[in-house]
Amino acid sequence: MGKPCPLILLVEDEPPMRRFLRTTLRAHGYQVVEAGTVREGLAQAAGRNPDLILLDLGLPDGDGLGLVRPIRRSARTPIIVISARGQEHEKVSALDLGADDYLTKPFGVQELLARVRVGLRHASQSDAPEAVFESGGLRVDLERRLVFREHDEVHLTPTEYKLLTTLVRHSGKVLTHRQLLHDVWGANYEGQTHYLRVYMAQLRQKLERDSARPRVLLTEPGVGYRLATRE
Amino acid sequence: MTSQVPGGPRRRQRGELAEYIGTLAAMATATVPCLVWRARLTTVDVAMVLLLGVVVVAARYRRGPALLASLLSIAAFDFLFVPPYYTFDVHDGAYLLTFVVMLAVALTMSHLTGQILEHALEAEERASRASAVASLNTELLDATGRDEVLDALVRHVAATVRGPVSTLAAEELERDPAAWTPPTRELLATVPESVAARMAHGGGQSAGPGTPRCTDSEVLVVPLRTATHRFGLVAVRPEPPDRLPLVAEVATVEALADQAALTLERTLLAEQHQQARAEAEAERLRSSLLSSLSHDFRTPLATIEGAASGLIEEGGALTAEGSRDLAATILEESRRLARLVSNLLNMIRVETGALAVQKSWQPLEEVAGVALLRVEEQLAGHEVSVDLPPHLPLVPVDELLVEQVLINLLENAAKYTPPGTPVSVTAWEVEGAVCVEVADGGRGVPAGAEESVFRKFYRAAGTAGEDGAEAPGGSGLGLTISQGIVTAHGGRMWVEHRPGGGAAFRFTLPLVGPRIPAPPPGRDAVASHG
Repeated sequence: MGKPCPLILLVEDEPPMRRFLRTTLRAHGYQVVEAGTVREGLAQAAGRNPDLILLDLGLPDGDGLGLVRPIRRSARTPIIVISARGQEHEKVSALDLGADDYLTKPFGVQELLARVRVGLRHASQSDAPEAVFESGGLRVDLERRLVFREHDEVHLTPTEYKLLTTLVRHSGKVLTHRQLLHDVWGANYEGQTHYLRVYMAQLRQKLERDSARPRVLLTEPGVGYRLATRE
Repeated sequence: MTSQVPGGPRRRQRGELAEYIGTLAAMATATVPCLVWRARLTTVDVAMVLLLGVVVVAARYRRGPALLASLLSIAAFDFLFVPPYYTFDVHDGAYLLTFVVMLAVALTMSHLTGQILEHALEAEERASRASAVASLNTELLDATGRDEVLDALVRHVAATVRGPVSTLAAEELERDPAAWTPPTRELLATVPESVAARMAHGGGQSAGPGTPRCTDSEVLVVPLRTATHRFGLVAVRPEPPDRLPLVAEVATVEALADQAALTLERTLLAEQHQQARAEAEAERLRSSLLSSLSHDFRTPLATIEGAASGLIEEGGALTAEGSRDLAATILEESRRLARLVSNLLNMIRVETGALAVQKSWQPLEEVAGVALLRVEEQLAGHEVSVDLPPHLPLVPVDELLVEQVLINLLENAAKYTPPGTPVSVTAWEVEGAVCVEVADGGRGVPAGAEESVFRKFYRAAGTAGEDGAEAPGGSGLGLTISQGIVTAHGGRMWVEHRPGGGAAFRFTLPLVGPRIPAPPPGRDAVASHG
């Protein structure tokens, strides 16, 4: 883990939302600095060097994407974007530009804290994932390249395995269709979402107890997929 | 007067010739006996007999033959009976007076006869016109629409004037002639006809043959109008072209047209009345919806405000459990408000066509999975089964929208059926589409409400939530939105009654959409489901 009291930069222009986020985060032991515009946000990000940024996509002086791009150029600070329902397009753009995760308004405290924890964990973990991943009856042994469902070994095709390990590397975090297609199949196949969906369905058939009600391989509608972590 | 009518039917022309022959015969009949008994008769007797001939002719025929009879009688009288015989010389001036009297008698008689004939003819025409109008009226009583009225009119006009009959709608006539459709265009192809039509439509008076207006037109046009409405024209092209319709025939056509126009007006007014009633009904519905909507908004807001102020102001006095209850109330009510708002927003999207459907091919299982996860809490007490065949084709859908459809259907199942009721999600392939069904084992949709459940703001009877939390209290928009979304995907949505009771909501998703690009090179087959 990083500092004992991680610093979170909150970029949000709506006072009630800001108050709710500030109060909740402080109550859970985070330090909070605030900004109401893209400009202020950029200044705070440069001056305070936060551990994580919570960024609302609808800001008075820009759509928040104007903050993701410059920050990603210089730092790997995790960015979690906050957006309303129906703004899937903006969310995906922010994620493809380098944001780490998103929250859709309205969201509950549990969801907020979970996202923040995942963001901070990935930032501190650097690139080396743990050798064994476990969640909801699924166990992936990355060193031995073995996959188990409830103690039974499951055989995956090479592509399925690659897709699964990509998700494991980013466990808890959302991955957009484009990111997954890029990582598993390569840059030329970023548009072929249906292909990814078919493989995902196959993975669910093999790894979920009930593939129609997945517990581990979660769909983020309109955005991508998320591998649920044990929380 | 009939004789002033330019021309007349052939029947009448033949009649006139017969009349002149009859006149000659009558005068011969009067003259010959007088000539035989000339020696025994005085000239006064002869004059009386000849006058009788003139009177008979004048009484039977009209002015022309009567005039001929009087001239013939004068000539015969002068030539045969007034001395010196066999010359037209007249020695006695008194005979001149006889000639004048004979002429005057002939003219007076023929005038009287003419009038009587005229009246009889008029009466006959009036009677035939009345019977034509009456017969049309009988038919119009049963006519329900504009087309039926015009059909009946055309048939009756055709029975009055021989020749092809058609009607021209006002809208058509007011358009530019270049935009006229075939019947109008052919009928009014030449200038005189189109001028007559314009004049008749604009001026409201008949024009063309048989009328004083636009006599060079070959088509008789009679306006279909009432005091307040203009419906167009009825047009006849009399056959053969050189036969002009009689004034009486024109009058009959006008009477028929007036009658038809009155019926058209009545039909129109009835339609307008109907429409006004429908609008009033819609207005009533709107205002009742508005009041129920404002209730739906105010109730959760009031609850939230009350609970929050309780937490702040009574914070110390509340037990931990009490505080939790108030907070839970706030959470529930704000979720209810959020659902209402998002339903209304979706409704507006559906209604204004702002629904941007972004289709992509995907497994239905994934869409259903998200929906099931979202309603997991609400359906916790129900027995939910999912049966999606493994080889169901990919469907081209906007995942967020179709997910919303499934959520709405599943939420309804949760709301309108008691806990423990089975709820099933199934799908199967039909021709060119995938059919999805969300069924429950509840009470089902009331008989007769299969269509209206999809209507905006429809709420199942007895479920409008007066008493807050217990009643389902939906917005009455879920099914309308769902149907709108399915329609935007090119599909259809309906409800069926399940054999064992309960409702089965079904919708189709046509398998048409963007082309599937070629698969990327993979080392393993896609089709094999593990």
